[in-house]
Amino acid sequence: MKSTSYFFGLFTMSIAVSLVGCSSDDNGDGGDNGGGTSGESKYIIAATPQVSEAVADYLLTADDLGQGTITTRGNGVEQDGTWRYYVTHNNMFFSMLYGQGNPGAVTAYELNAEGELEKLTNFQSETVQAFAVVNDDILMIKISRNATEPYAYWYRLDISDKESIGIVDEGVIDTQKLADTENGELAFFSWITQVGNKVYLPYFTMKGCCNDAWGTEYPDEANIAVYSYPEMELEKVIRDDRTSAIGSYFTNGLTVDEKGDAYAFSSATATTGGELSSTKPSAVTRIKNGTTEFDQEYYFDLEEATGGLYITDHVYAGNGKFLGIFGVDKASSSGVKYGVIDAYNKTVTPVSGLPEPDDIEVFTNMNNYVSDGGATVSTGITDKAGASYIYNIDIASATATRGLQVEQGTITTISRLDPAE
Amino acid sequence: MSFSDNITLKLWLVLCCVLTPFAVISQSGKISVSGTVTGPSGQGIYGATVAVHNSGIGVVTGEKGGFELSLEEGTYTLEVSYMGYKTASRTIEVGSGQERISITLEESPYELREVVLSGKNMIRKIEEKAFNVSVVDAEKLHHTTLDLGHALDRVSGIRVRESGGVGSEMNFSINGFRGKQVKLFIDGIPMDDIGSSFQLNNIPINLAERIEVYKGVVPVGLGADALGGAVNIITNTYKKSHIDASYSYGSFNTHRSMVNAVYVAKSGFTAQLNAYQNYSDNNYKMEVQAVDLETNKYYPKRTVRRFHDTYHNETVIANIGVVQKSYADELLFGITLGNSYKEIQTGARVESVFGAWHRKGNIIMPSLKYRKKDFLARGLDFRLNANYNLGQEKNIDTVNVDYNWLGQKKEYDTPGGERSYSLYKFRNHNGLANAVWDYKFGKAHKLTLSSTFNTFNRKGNNTLEEDSESYEQPQKTLKNIVGLGYQFVSDSWNLTVFGKQYFQENKFSTRIGGSNNEELRYVKATKNYNHLGYGVAGTWFLNEDLQFKVSYERAYRLPGNEELFGDLINLAGNLNLRPEESYNYNLGVGYWWQLRPQHRLYFAVNGFYRDANDFIRTRLQTNEEMQTKDNLGKVKNTGLEGEIRYQYGNRLMAGMNITYLDLKNNSKDEDTYGDRIPNIPYLYGNADVTYTVPDVWGKGNTLSLGYNLLYVDSFYLFWPSLGTKSTKRGIPEQISHDLNVTYTYNNKLQFTLECRNILDKNLYDNFSLQKPGRSFSAKIKYTIL
Repeated sequence: MKSTSYFFGLFTMSIAVSLVGCSSDDNGDGGDNGGGTSGESKYIIAATPQVSEAVADYLLTADDLGQGTITTRGNGVEQDGTWRYYVTHNNMFFSMLYGQGNPGAVTAYELNAEGELEKLTNFQSETVQAFAVVNDDILMIKISRNATEPYAYWYRLDISDKESIGIVDEGVIDTQKLADTENGELAFFSWITQVGNKVYLPYFTMKGCCNDAWGTEYPDEANIAVYSYPEMELEKVIRDDRTSAIGSYFTNGLTVDEKGDAYAFSSATATTGGELSSTKPSAVTRIKNGTTEFDQEYYFDLEEATGGLYITDHVYAGNGKFLGIFGVDKASSSGVKYGVIDAYNKTVTPVSGLPEPDDIEVFTNMNNYVSDGGATVSTGITDKAGASYIYNIDIASATATRGLQVEQGTITTISRLDPAE
Repeated sequence: MSFSDNITLKLWLVLCCVLTPFAVISQSGKISVSGTVTGPSGQGIYGATVAVHNSGIGVVTGEKGGFELSLEEGTYTLEVSYMGYKTASRTIEVGSGQERISITLEESPYELREVVLSGKNMIRKIEEKAFNVSVVDAEKLHHTTLDLGHALDRVSGIRVRESGGVGSEMNFSINGFRGKQVKLFIDGIPMDDIGSSFQLNNIPINLAERIEVYKGVVPVGLGADALGGAVNIITNTYKKSHIDASYSYGSFNTHRSMVNAVYVAKSGFTAQLNAYQNYSDNNYKMEVQAVDLETNKYYPKRTVRRFHDTYHNETVIANIGVVQKSYADELLFGITLGNSYKEIQTGARVESVFGAWHRKGNIIMPSLKYRKKDFLARGLDFRLNANYNLGQEKNIDTVNVDYNWLGQKKEYDTPGGERSYSLYKFRNHNGLANAVWDYKFGKAHKLTLSSTFNTFNRKGNNTLEEDSESYEQPQKTLKNIVGLGYQFVSDSWNLTVFGKQYFQENKFSTRIGGSNNEELRYVKATKNYNHLGYGVAGTWFLNEDLQFKVSYERAYRLPGNEELFGDLINLAGNLNLRPEESYNYNLGVGYWWQLRPQHRLYFAVNGFYRDANDFIRTRLQTNEEMQTKDNLGKVKNTGLEGEIRYQYGNRLMAGMNITYLDLKNNSKDEDTYGDRIPNIPYLYGNADVTYTVPDVWGKGNTLSLGYNLLYVDSFYLFWPSLGTKSTKRGIPEQISHDLNVTYTYNNKLQFTLECRNILDKNLYDNFSLQKPGRSFSAKIKYTIL
């Protein structure tokens, strides 16, 4: 795996529908049962060609993830550049720009009766570093990495009515005050997770200065800021010193199961002065439903369970089972392995049927597709020869089957839309 | 680089730069030859060329037809030419006492008043070189309000792209190579990193006498690490006292003025002053979707004016020294002082609009110019240029406000910027020395040795983050390019072979420690590159009017300072960059056709091929919002450019050129291998017509009408082969018509009215960044000879 995969992982992001309680599945059922639509539902695949310049993403549609071939050659809805992120909610597909500091146009699509993506609306968005569906909003946060301006700005985008998508509320968070460290580090939210009727923002701390912007003197603590919603009032900060930070830059580390318990994943990759400094292993912890404290009874050491692997990302399938994406070497952030994590029974089962870690060039990060009921997780892998396939992973057996091939593009998002009414 | 190489390099430096020309002064025993050139009725002819056959020595006659030459003892043939007269030749023996000559020219049999310039002028002489070169006769554009950039845009093979109006970011490409792959020179002096106050987008065309564009293969005398070609701007030189001044006013509150003054005393003392100024509000109309700052919803498309795009610059170039002395043909000490201010209206896309972010820059650049023919020995010419830029650049983004296209704003009460909170000031301390030796021997041989030495030492600080140690670290480069060339010239063919040695040394710091309670330290490091390039260029004249050219260069381009150290705004440095490289081939044919006495035609066709590796391209830095440069691309480029020019007497001039590029991705491991490189125009051209009416409202007063057409075919922003056609983004076909009318009174006063983009079309060079619509300007120029 060369560095581009890390790069792609960081910047071509989307959110899997399963990450939030309120997923598009509900609406999907409605669409199927409605009878008023003529078309079939389609899988939406965002593909990024492997080129060194002038890269744009292309949105492809497919009927089946299990077989066949689709291509970006002469096909696909061109996006304005790459470094975009995608969110699916309310049967709409949002293509958002990661604009390197510039605001930019965001486009929402729906599927028309002919099974084609149709542009719904444009609105403007800031470049944000965290975003997630909360209730019927997309909550977005733009987070400073610079100690001279220690502020995070949040925006609440109401997407409940496709005719009037727009920002309805916004506010500022002083991240230096929130982190409250002796050396004035900033809190940097790794991601956003709705837990019950609150918003949990796990964060890591960073110096934001002195040529060690991403470094921290606090590599061995996990922090979550708990906010009320939609007021976004800070209620408390919960802390745990059994692991390093939850999630990482642009990567979710907190997921709620069907019981309302939240599982927190730490990759333990904090650095100080450019060198790894976390002394805690990569591990899973838990916050039980109805509490706002880490459950001290629960701790699952992933490095011990996997023989030294660390988690880089996870996808929730259901019933306490996650597809875990693991890294092999923290220092070089190289290697990628897949395993099914059973958080309830504290086991990790390696997934069989996937390419060897050394053969993987690029892989889909947090934008994988989870089938209805969570039996299958579909993920994209591009091998060293440049061939991209969707692998459908059966969670129960931890076996992967190679499915749809995507030509001239790496797979950055797999999602599904039903035809709009 | 090994130790011995280093010694070699230093030897070169000593040879080429350190050795000052003042150490020894030529001691040759020359005899002055003087004379007059007259017409049949005995009147002196001003401006006739008196050339010594086969020597390259020549002068132009003065007001009463007088001239003076200094020659060594021997026999020479003088050739005297002037338009409208037959060329006369006269053999003289210098040393025999017959040093005063009078030459009478006969009128040519053609109709006298309208005889075309048939002697070979400088433009044609350069076009006859073996290189693939285009020349713009800048003097023909002096009545316009063009800056150098827009003048270049009319040359075949060149595309200039700009992001807005006056002073906006401008970049030019030569046959598809762009950015720092092409180099810019003024009088043979590289203009690298010279700062925002002295750039193509603000230097008026009146500063130039002509512009030479070398495509693919660059002569050794220009000492350049250019991958795709070079542009050399030759500034006006006056052999006698002269003043001209011009002022123009135009749409969008645009004021431009320029004063050009030269004083030459009989003693050889000379003082030269160029001063110019540009100001524009750039408040032209845009068709945009403004955003509601509260909801972030877009309003329907509407027409608004730009509101934060004021640009101005003021520059003075002053030189003082001597000309035509025994120890120097020219010795000038000069200084360039300038200042620029630029408001930034948009980012890379029209959606990102700013209302407070701006940049400032200044230039304080002392310079030295020295030229001497027959320096130390007969046939040995030497020239030396040196300058040092003390200018400062500032980026000011300290207002935490969101703006929309209606000029409305939303303020935040926390510190921050519109794009990236910064108040960074820096000086690049660019130093440059360029020395060229030309040695002619025998009848037909010439050796050229050139050395260009470049230093860069950036020092700056972010006033918002004063104590950060990272700003204290060294950011230095030293570049030296040494070229050696040999040229053979005969009547019907000539050949040039050359080699260039590229050397670069970068000094910087690497950071270590900082973890596990270890102290953060900086360790100074040095990195060297050494490459050898070479090339050959040949031309053959089948007859006087039909020329074939062929040239080849193994070209390198060393990483630029901004690419290595970043621009401190959007671009992060990459100290591991390697030079870019290319194999460049050119094949061309030119034909001058004298249709009838007053009708002349010129045709030229050039084909080219480029095979380039390790292209330096931009990519997004991991974990950061900044971009960085990397050696990523491989490109193959095959193309053709054609040009036709027609001239009827002195009344009508017309021409057109067209360029087609087939620029392809040659990186086999990429998904778009073999596809056309996107976001680069590949079919474009110009056409122009000028008609001059003589004797309007008085004898000698002329009225001229000019028309220029610019054509650029549409092209895609992203790879052509990918995506459904109807969803693809692109830059539409552009056709722009410009008109101008100029009335010249008594050769001294000139009035021009100009209209650009007459049809008020929406023009774009860069995706979504609209350029100005129709604009008018009026210019007045006054010359005192």
